Amino acid sequence: MIPAALAIARVKFVLELRRREVIFAMLLFIAATIVIVHFALSGDTGAGSRAAAGMLWAAVVFTAVLGLLRTFAAEQEEGALDALLLAPIDRAAIWIGAALAQFGFLVVVEVVAVPVWWVLFFQAGGPSIGTVVVALLLANIGIALVGTLAAALALGARTRDVLLPVLVLPLVIPIVLAGVTATYGAFGEEVGGLRPLGFLALYDLVFVALAWGTSEHLLGD
Amino acid sequence: MEPPVVTLTECSKRFGDRLALRKATLTIAAGETIVLLGPNGAGKSTLLRLVAGLLRPTAGSAQIAGVDATSAPRSLRAGIAYAGHRSQLYRGLTARENLELHARLQGQRDLDITALLNHVGLGDRADEYIDGFSRGMLQRLALARATAHQPALLLLDEPASGLDADGRLLLDATLRAGLGTRTQLVASHDDGLPARLGARAVHLNAGSLA
Repeated sequence: MIPAALAIARVKFVLELRRREVIFAMLLFIAATIVIVHFALSGDTGAGSRAAAGMLWAAVVFTAVLGLLRTFAAEQEEGALDALLLAPIDRAAIWIGAALAQFGFLVVVEVVAVPVWWVLFFQAGGPSIGTVVVALLLANIGIALVGTLAAALALGARTRDVLLPVLVLPLVIPIVLAGVTATYGAFGEEVGGLRPLGFLALYDLVFVALAWGTSEHLLGD
Repeated sequence: MEPPVVTLTECSKRFGDRLALRKATLTIAAGETIVLLGPNGAGKSTLLRLVAGLLRPTAGSAQIAGVDATSAPRSLRAGIAYAGHRSQLYRGLTARENLELHARLQGQRDLDITALLNHVGLGDRADEYIDGFSRGMLQRLALARATAHQPALLLLDEPASGLDADGRLLLDATLRAGLGTRTQLVASHDDGLPARLGARAVHLNAGSLA
């Protein structure tokens, strides 16, 4: 199953490199959000750092939704999803391949956006970057898994562009809460040690198991 | 692998208020070729997608080799090929890259893609993105994709649409090559195709098999 998933993810990366449809829009959105909030909070030295931490996570989630809207777009253009469904592969490979691509897109976006966020908000010292990076990576896995699952659910709906955020956003609220808590912890606040990171890892595991068991049916008729 | 036998039993498919297929009963023996004829909207595509397992019947059953088509195991899916109205290819990839992906997913490491593209007349366009391909070229490539893994069951939905004269000859030759050796179900508007192939014709009208 892994080779099939990697082949599908590779195709999505190749298409993105050639078309630049998803990552560019995601980058533009997250950069605009960070810059706008920076100007909105400038001068507020008290709550600024905490607000900046929360803003990063909100921006990541909404940016991810932007990318998720295009999850199966390439497969729908010429009906390639039919060929994938009929291929002698575990259908979970289709979902894992798409999730891997979404994970990769998020990482690329964050590699650019997080340094910008850091420079704009934390010139005088910020959170432990290691904790923030680990939290983001764990969150990316969860968002990609849940988001791709929701994209598969919304695939047959005429209103999928509206339906997808409705499905995804409630499911990723726990990720945002844990991410924000982990980021506060990275500032040195007492938030229960590694508990938020552990929660994110557990969330990822639960959705791997859930999606694994349901992808055969979700991606069918 | 034992060629699959297709069995539709009282099979119906409803899309909202519209009944696309009405209690269709059809058996296709191993190695048999059937040409499905009928006007636009008769339900030919729906029937093919039910056989392929890409749609679930609203009532009745669609089985391949005695197994519900929608839950066909990987071993059975390996022997099925379906080419529909759309090419089922990735527009942003080249012709060669599309076939490479197909071969990888089918587990065919030794597929001679150059020979396959030459066979369908696309050898000189192998490394072009299919974005710029005409309808006929996409049909040729879709035919190459569908037959590349030597399927035991070949399902083609109006495969001649968009094809030029040479393309139609290629299609006829492909179907002839499969006579008696693989099970073939072809939806077509070409009334002369069953006679040309010596195949059984089945008529579908307003969702009902004649």
